[in-house]
Amino acid sequence: MTDVGLGSLAAAEIAAPRRHGTLRRLLRHRSFMIGFSIILLLTLAAVLAPLISPIDPSAMKVRLRFRPPSSAFWFGTDMFGRDVFTRVLYGARISLFVGFSVCVVSGLCSAIIGVIAAQFRRLDGAIMRLMDALMSFPAILLALGIAAALGPRVSSVVIALTVAYIPAGVRIVRAAALTVREMDYVQAAQVSGASSLRIVIRHILPNCFSSLLVHLTFIFAYAMLAEAALSFIGVGIQPPIASWGNIIAEGRDYATEAWWVMLFPGIAISLAALSLNLLGDALGDMLDPRQKGGA
Amino acid sequence: MSSPLLSIQNLSVQFRVDTGWVTAIDDVSLDLAAGECVGLVGESGSGKSVTALSILRLHERTTTRISSGLILYQGQDLLRAPGSAMRRIRGSEIAMIFQDPMSSLNPVLTIADQMSETLRQHQGLAGAAARKRVVELLGLVRIPDAARRADDYPHHLSGGMRQRVMIAMAIACKPRLLIADEPTTALDVTIQAQIMELLRDLRRELSMSVMLISHDLGVIAEFAQRVIVMYAGRVVEGAPVAQLFRRPVHPYTMGLIAAVPKLDSEASRLATIPGRIPGPQEVIRGCRFSPRCTLARDCCLAEQPSMQLVSDHQSARCPPRILALSEGHG
Repeated sequence: MTDVGLGSLAAAEIAAPRRHGTLRRLLRHRSFMIGFSIILLLTLAAVLAPLISPIDPSAMKVRLRFRPPSSAFWFGTDMFGRDVFTRVLYGARISLFVGFSVCVVSGLCSAIIGVIAAQFRRLDGAIMRLMDALMSFPAILLALGIAAALGPRVSSVVIALTVAYIPAGVRIVRAAALTVREMDYVQAAQVSGASSLRIVIRHILPNCFSSLLVHLTFIFAYAMLAEAALSFIGVGIQPPIASWGNIIAEGRDYATEAWWVMLFPGIAISLAALSLNLLGDALGDMLDPRQKGGA
Repeated sequence: MSSPLLSIQNLSVQFRVDTGWVTAIDDVSLDLAAGECVGLVGESGSGKSVTALSILRLHERTTTRISSGLILYQGQDLLRAPGSAMRRIRGSEIAMIFQDPMSSLNPVLTIADQMSETLRQHQGLAGAAARKRVVELLGLVRIPDAARRADDYPHHLSGGMRQRVMIAMAIACKPRLLIADEPTTALDVTIQAQIMELLRDLRRELSMSVMLISHDLGVIAEFAQRVIVMYAGRVVEGAPVAQLFRRPVHPYTMGLIAAVPKLDSEASRLATIPGRIPGPQEVIRGCRFSPRCTLARDCCLAEQPSMQLVSDHQSARCPPRILALSEGHG
């Protein structure tokens, strides 16, 4: 049925040089690449910890306590003679795990609750007041309370931090969803007979995803910092399991004699937080439609 | 006349405002026969789009209510149809295209993905079968290189191309009625002509009825068979297109047609209708056009005039006395 003559006439309407892949643009973005490389390195270090350092992170050698950094002990040893380098490697497992799971779980929950608030206007008031109530506590204080109540386990740290970070995510998703649901393409989907659930999954959620994603990279960083803080206070990860926070906590009594015990996990935390912030900023740039330009 | 495909009877729609409810459209009635193309004309705010959205029940439920009326589609009252029936009708029986093709496509889905949604919904097509149909449809709306375009994202396409995609999506399930809400307003003039030509051909090929909403009398004159003129939420005149342009009877229609610029005219100023269209919250006694009407008399202010049959196919909402006067003018 296609009319060839008219087809070529219509060709004049086509704008679009061929696409520049989002991936390629990300690869060219410097702060994205820096952030991404650091986080990749840290993740590899965590995963490959037993291969990188065959020592048991909890093995105590009292004769070797408080050795400064050297070729044998890269980051020195602590008050029990444990290798700080090995402990930082194993600590990365806990810290990154907590950061990642809080980021994923709170992301999922915020997406669901946020969209419900935006779609079911009757529930909006109730949901948002509950979120406001949660938000009125400083996140760390709320997490402290929950973690203390649930008992000192990795899972309770994850739950506590997830609850603490959900309200901010809900606000972001709700705001984005309220904008998206007014878009013409949502109405167009309704016109084509799509069900509300289908519209939410296919049209509203994907278009809220970019703002949530940027937020989540920061949540990843905050959660790692907060885990360190909770472990430092003593309601988080318990010794002898190493996490960056409790290595610092244990080292603080000896800060003047053995500065290296606190310094290296501190650097690890800063690096991880820095790289995630770089990632978040870069994603924010990339996903901002005004910066898409070109096509 | 056989029973129409779509029949709107005495439809009134109200919007919620701070002070209560205001009437956006009042007592709108119109019929659309199978295969017919009806043009709905009026200024911005005259209630054209509200009427169209009511047919598909797309109003926000919390801020809009349909206070009276019937919308019969093949004898079924759409206003009282259950949600599931409505979803089946939307897209497969009645489809709609919108004014702004730039925002009518989801930016995160490829053309093929968006179009497959409708196909999946109504025809259960998925995967390769859906894709084949998508490419076929893109070809049907004369998008060149359809197989490659199917994998594009909306921002790769120009406005005219996007409107073609919208049309392809709308006709995907061979609807019996297509509502085109200002389909060419956001496009430049050459593309407008191509899109209208495409719509005309598709209408013939698929024997669809079309409700064309526009404020462009030129588009209406070329495309529609019958024209309904709306003003301030009411139908003021309805007539076959040739008759409406040759012999409009309502003073508002006459004003509209007089206001169309003519290339061969010597006049340096365009004709206008003084004043502006009243908002739905403004209380106007009698005929809502009377404040701007050069022919208005006391009888116009006394009560809301009803639709008067002027001839076999033409009717206008104007008191007979004034109609007699206006015919003298025309």
